[in-house]
Amino acid sequence: MTGVWFSWRIWAVFGILAVLPAFPFMTGYRLGLAFDALLFGVIAMSLDLLMGYTGLVSFGHAAFLGLGAYSTALLVERGVRSIWLCLLAAIVVVGLYALLVSYFATTRRGIYFALLTLIFAEVVYTFFRYTMAFGGSDGIQGLEPAQLVPGMPASAVDTPLKNYYLVLALLLLAYLVCRTLVESHFGKVLVAIRENEDRARFLGYNVRRYKMTVCVISALLTGIAGALYPIRLANATPDLLLWTVSGEVIVMVMIGGIGTLAGPVIGGAFFMVLQEEVSSYAPKIYQALGLSADKGVGVHLLIIGVILVLIVLFMPRGLLGAVRAARVRAPRLPAPVAAGGAK
Amino acid sequence: MEYIADILLPQMLHGLVFGAALGLLALGLTIIFGLLGVMNFAHGELFMLGAYAGIAVIALTQSFWAAVILAPACVAVVGALMEICTLRPLYKRPPLYGLILTFGLALAFREIVREIWGGDMRRIVEPISGSVPLLGMMYPKYRLFLLGAALLLLLGIWLFFTKTRAGIIVRAAVQDAEMLDGLGVNVPRVFTLTFAGSSALAALAGLLLAPIFTVVPTMGVEMILLAFIVVILGGMGSLGGSVLAALVIGEAQSLFSLWMNPQRVAIAIFAIMILVLIVRPRGFFGREGVLE
Amino acid sequence: MNSNGQALLQVEQVSKHFGALAALSRVDLEVRDGEVFSLIGPNGAGKSTLFNVITGLYPPTAGQVRFLEDEITGLSPEAVNRKGIAKTFQITNIFPEISVYENVRVAVQSRSVEQGRPASLWRATDVRDEAMALLTTFHIAERADELAQNLSHGEQRYLEICLALGTRPRLLLLDEPTAGMTPGETRHATELIRRVASERALTVLLIEHDMSVVMGISDRVAVLHFGEKIAEGTPGQIRNDPKVIEAYLGGAD
Repeated sequence: MTGVWFSWRIWAVFGILAVLPAFPFMTGYRLGLAFDALLFGVIAMSLDLLMGYTGLVSFGHAAFLGLGAYSTALLVERGVRSIWLCLLAAIVVVGLYALLVSYFATTRRGIYFALLTLIFAEVVYTFFRYTMAFGGSDGIQGLEPAQLVPGMPASAVDTPLKNYYLVLALLLLAYLVCRTLVESHFGKVLVAIRENEDRARFLGYNVRRYKMTVCVISALLTGIAGALYPIRLANATPDLLLWTVSGEVIVMVMIGGIGTLAGPVIGGAFFMVLQEEVSSYAPKIYQALGLSADKGVGVHLLIIGVILVLIVLFMPRGLLGAVRAARVRAPRLPAPVAAGGAK
Repeated sequence: MEYIADILLPQMLHGLVFGAALGLLALGLTIIFGLLGVMNFAHGELFMLGAYAGIAVIALTQSFWAAVILAPACVAVVGALMEICTLRPLYKRPPLYGLILTFGLALAFREIVREIWGGDMRRIVEPISGSVPLLGMMYPKYRLFLLGAALLLLLGIWLFFTKTRAGIIVRAAVQDAEMLDGLGVNVPRVFTLTFAGSSALAALAGLLLAPIFTVVPTMGVEMILLAFIVVILGGMGSLGGSVLAALVIGEAQSLFSLWMNPQRVAIAIFAIMILVLIVRPRGFFGREGVLE
Repeated sequence: MNSNGQALLQVEQVSKHFGALAALSRVDLEVRDGEVFSLIGPNGAGKSTLFNVITGLYPPTAGQVRFLEDEITGLSPEAVNRKGIAKTFQITNIFPEISVYENVRVAVQSRSVEQGRPASLWRATDVRDEAMALLTTFHIAERADELAQNLSHGEQRYLEICLALGTRPRLLLLDEPTAGMTPGETRHATELIRRVASERALTVLLIEHDMSVVMGISDRVAVLHFGEKIAEGTPGQIRNDPKVIEAYLGGAD
């Protein structure tokens, strides 16, 4: 193992997150929002493995998310109660799909990866949207809560509080996995591929295999998150598979800080909160301006688009990246004489 | 026999028209990618803007033909602005950023159009109505005009790229953008003009196709997905490959629509793409030695 | 020269056509263990094409390439590298936005124990010593923490060579290693290459335009012209060969 990968900052953050529900302002509604934030944080972080570290943009991450969600939904609909079985199903389904996509998407250079992940995801969306067996455009509704210990109703994950802690556990696990991966031999090769994949090949690396591996890992993390998604709203709909969802995850990575792992989690939280606020205020603003409220439907997409453009142009390193850069530029204070030294 | 004349043949011609329009789109994508190194995710929206600009011009002038000139011109300006303001700063950066930026622009363009014109389906009336007898069937005149226009455009583009100095340079640069430096060419200007040109082409395709399909803010989305498939099949950097693949896909789309519902058609096209990728991972005309 | 005469690389009747263009025509070449072999010729003679065929960028249209008696014709670049052939690029091809150390590290770690195994997903061998040693040899150790793209041109050319050497090759292909260097840098680089090659018992196949480099460092030289080998021999023999002189008469190289 590569030693201690957690800086004290990370421990502090998880500590705060663990006690967050104790605060009075965390109503059930807000806990639900926090759930979304952390869940998408996991997804964004897994995408960062591809984007930030390997330099591959996936426009099809919604498919991994949606397949995970539908795996859970289909099992629960048929009476399966164990959350572990649902996770296992998601891993198998998403894993197979990811192998398939990455096999084709890595045949040629990076740009084709973006195109092919998009096309594959569109097919998955079309498939679920129009297949009645999966509920068509309504998806699968009215799911019973899954249980941590099958057969023990008390272990059902059925309150916002339990949902929250489950996702927090996932975030911790996902961070462990990602951080270990990034510090390892494998992670260094990913960066080399990002920087110059041809050169990496001439150094003896089977670049394609590396790309496929990281794609499957990223997909699995997203798929597991997706498998937990239905516990929040008790449903799984094809809207999860829209390419705009893939785009939203990309925004989260970019806002938070590409290539930082922690940044995308922040980006995810930031984005979910922003989306909540915009969708509750937009209709009111529209009405105040005398415009028809239904034109406001696409406004949040417009905002996402504009944000993406602005970030790429003016803040490509995202929030976390900008903070880090500012710290590096700050004047160095004389090092403390006492033992310990730098972090 | 009647089936062939009344249904199959017209559908095949539709496919040719659609394929030619798709070819124009895919050409634009390929050229921009080869020259500027940017995969323009907003290309479908430029196509869509062509139709909406057409609606605006027609509302003002009552003339479709005025729109044929003015709409692509407007979109060319939009394209030029796009290139200068948002793409130029990205040339030195990894290609990932261009992808994300154009994706963001696509989202923004779609929603801006929805804000202005609403999300309902619009129509542009065919400027040429009626049908003519052709090969034993009655074929709509407008579609025939479209076919002629598309083929003429493709021919014009081919001539541009093979006979004119500017075209030869651009075509060579699509394969190897670095050579432009050594030629003493005003590279930024070439980039902007090429981008504006490809935008105008996309817009023209959008306008010309509009009377056949409905005009909605998302009309570019389906086209761009097909254009991506075309580009994947044709191999990037191969202009001829793009056109050929476009005709094949256009024809396939048209014929499959006769026998399957739209969702199955999409899956069928996808299956074709997968098959080709298995048999020829580089596409029809992928180039060797580029570690494609 | 410390060659023992054994053939390391054998290029047999290799041709490469790009459409109608014959970039290489029936080229025969043999590089012996331990020697420094130079490949020269006017621009467009096919030298880089030959390198590309040897290292697997594309297969030859005809002919074979053998390395240590193994046939390597048409193998992928990564496979060729694993066999023990490493190449530097004519246009500097490094990893720009990571540090110099990280650059060499990724080259050196390609030969570490975890490579290709599941353990590589969570472990990493410490290759600091080997990487720093390489950097020190090429006088860029002080720049180890700088971003590779911030290095001067000459330093980047050295980094190129460090990357190739990090993969512990037996045969080193250098494609115009001194391109863009000043005369002083070129002399220095030439000496460095000769010393490193002999210290590590490396065999070197070199493409060069600078005749002083070629004459000073090579055991043997081959001349390509329009894709064909027109001469081969010691530097002295090549210098006086009338065919070679005529080939170069068209342009001063």
